[in-house]
Amino acid sequence: MLAAPLMHTLDPHSLTKHVDRLYRAAWALCGSREDAEDLVQETFARVLSRPRMIRGDDELYYLMRVLRNTFLTSLRTASRRPVTAATLEDVVAADPRPTNRPERAFEVQEVYATIAALPDDFRLALVAVDVLGLSYREAARALQVREATLTTRLFRARKQVAELLEPPERGQVAELHREGTDASGVSIGEGMS
Amino acid sequence: MSNEPPPTEAEIVEFVRSIDARAPRELHERMQQLVAERAPAVSGRRPTAIRFGLLAGAPALAVALVAVLVVSLAGGGSSPLTLDQTVALTLRPATMVAPDENPHDGMQLMVSVDGVPFPYWEASFGFRATGERVDRAGGRNVTTVFYADSHHDWLGYAIVSGTPPQVGGGRVIDRGGTSYRLLVAHGTNVVTWLRAGRLCVMSGHGVGDGTLMALASWHAMGTTFAS
Repeated sequence: MLAAPLMHTLDPHSLTKHVDRLYRAAWALCGSREDAEDLVQETFARVLSRPRMIRGDDELYYLMRVLRNTFLTSLRTASRRPVTAATLEDVVAADPRPTNRPERAFEVQEVYATIAALPDDFRLALVAVDVLGLSYREAARALQVREATLTTRLFRARKQVAELLEPPERGQVAELHREGTDASGVSIGEGMS
Repeated sequence: MSNEPPPTEAEIVEFVRSIDARAPRELHERMQQLVAERAPAVSGRRPTAIRFGLLAGAPALAVALVAVLVVSLAGGGSSPLTLDQTVALTLRPATMVAPDENPHDGMQLMVSVDGVPFPYWEASFGFRATGERVDRAGGRNVTTVFYADSHHDWLGYAIVSGTPPQVGGGRVIDRGGTSYRLLVAHGTNVVTWLRAGRLCVMSGHGVGDGTLMALASWHAMGTTFAS
């Protein structure tokens, strides 16, 4: 007599338990904490605009789908605020252990900013699977692509993130220092290493 | 990261998955407020209408309003089921389709708990069954059938399996040899009573105490004395 995964009305109150995960996903999509807050709020507002029917425990998948649509809409309308670089203090404030892991907090910002720099399709795939924790099948459904497409995008997204986070070769750094410029031609200060 | 070896893709995936940054407290608060504001409409149910007027002046008002009652179970190994939990289940969405009318008894639905059937109210009161859910709480099965009428008033009617737990508090009304307890929990009017030795808990949205009592004491369903 126990409930099978039938269609049922989404319980609005159950959404609040997903705020943290949705926030991380939004942060990785936007690259900015401020925009992430706006995106989460807009996503919730959309979901709560009318009754929603979901199947079984598909809340997170459903939220990802709405998050994706909201995100793409915000890109199209260009209504988002300009991405602002978070300071270390900002990032630390968002971390549950703010005082003893500032370096990790900085890394979080760096990694999320890198993900946010990926092409839209790639970052959505990575966010759905690696940030939000959906299965490949759920992510493919949420992003409305085939599972094989999702897998390919995810592979490429991870590869690009790894490449973007890869530090310059040591020899290359030394060469840059000798010349006193960075790759963009801007002078490097004495304190840089 | 710049002084370390290049991260591998696996390391990056591991790192990304380990990030557990929390949303700011202000965002949590805003989302909770948003849910609170919109949940009634999204649930397809009318906002809870607490009938303070009906209770104003009643000596039992204070008792009813503060009644968060603990139902102590005679048996069962897990943490005891509370009335608060049971009422909460009657406020959650249905997970199954509505049970049909019993073709052999026009006063019953085709679902029952320990032989105690849920009533068929559409013909008599205009409340038709709209859905059902079954939960396991405090070591008990709690089956809830939801009813609604044409005015979008709705009811959550739960029957708790097993030996009836002890219930206290609230305002007690005796009718036809059965004791009914009226109280307010989770912001809604609630009535509890026993039917054939099984605890029944019914919450009503947009439904006053009088209607709750009329439904609960419907003679056709074989009420018994409450403990």
